[in-house]
Amino acid sequence: MINSVKLARLEAGMTQQELADKAEVTRQTISLIEKGEYNPSLNLCLEICYAVNKSLDDLFWIDKERGKNEEN
Amino acid sequence: MKKIKDERLKLQNLQNLRIVFMVQTLGILAILGYEFIRFGFDKVISDPLWLVFLITGIVNQYLNLTISVDHENSTKNPKNRLAVSLIILGVIAVVIGYFICNTNSYDIVDALISSGIIFISGLIPSIYVYRLRVKRNDE
Repeated sequence: MINSVKLARLEAGMTQQELADKAEVTRQTISLIEKGEYNPSLNLCLEICYAVNKSLDDLFWIDKERGKNEEN
Repeated sequence: MKKIKDERLKLQNLQNLRIVFMVQTLGILAILGYEFIRFGFDKVISDPLWLVFLITGIVNQYLNLTISVDHENSTKNPKNRLAVSLIILGVIAVVIGYFICNTNSYDIVDALISSGIIFISGLIPSIYVYRLRVKRNDE
């Protein structure tokens, strides 16, 4: 699933490890989320949003058409 | 050992457990199959592994009931469905009891005990499913 986690993390000046520590996951999980290779649960999405001070919309919202194109 | 908090690793752990369960089940089946071929069914049912295999199967079926109930699309009243299940169960128990009663060396007491066991064995899952259906209807 494509998302803006990496961009938001860099804007917040955090490393993957720092974000991982705040969200109570491993750095590998953050890396996979940023690459769109792992779909986090809503709880984890919220934890990431709280950590980088962004909303769910900012980080995870994608238009339906764009989402379909990315899947294909 | 540190407690796993990462949801991805928890999921991975569950998938690993599934593989372990499959290997374990295959191992149990292989041992029981070997005993069956070498020594017959009596040896199989005297092995504690047989009990483990049966209990695992029963627990698995009970856990699967929660999924089956969620998957149902029926809007029928759970009470009616319980009544139908109990009637069918009663008929099966009576028919089996009748055949046992008419078998040589078995009397009415044996038939009653067997029918009673069959009825109770069916009654417990029926009530369990009924309670699950009622709970799902309330949600």
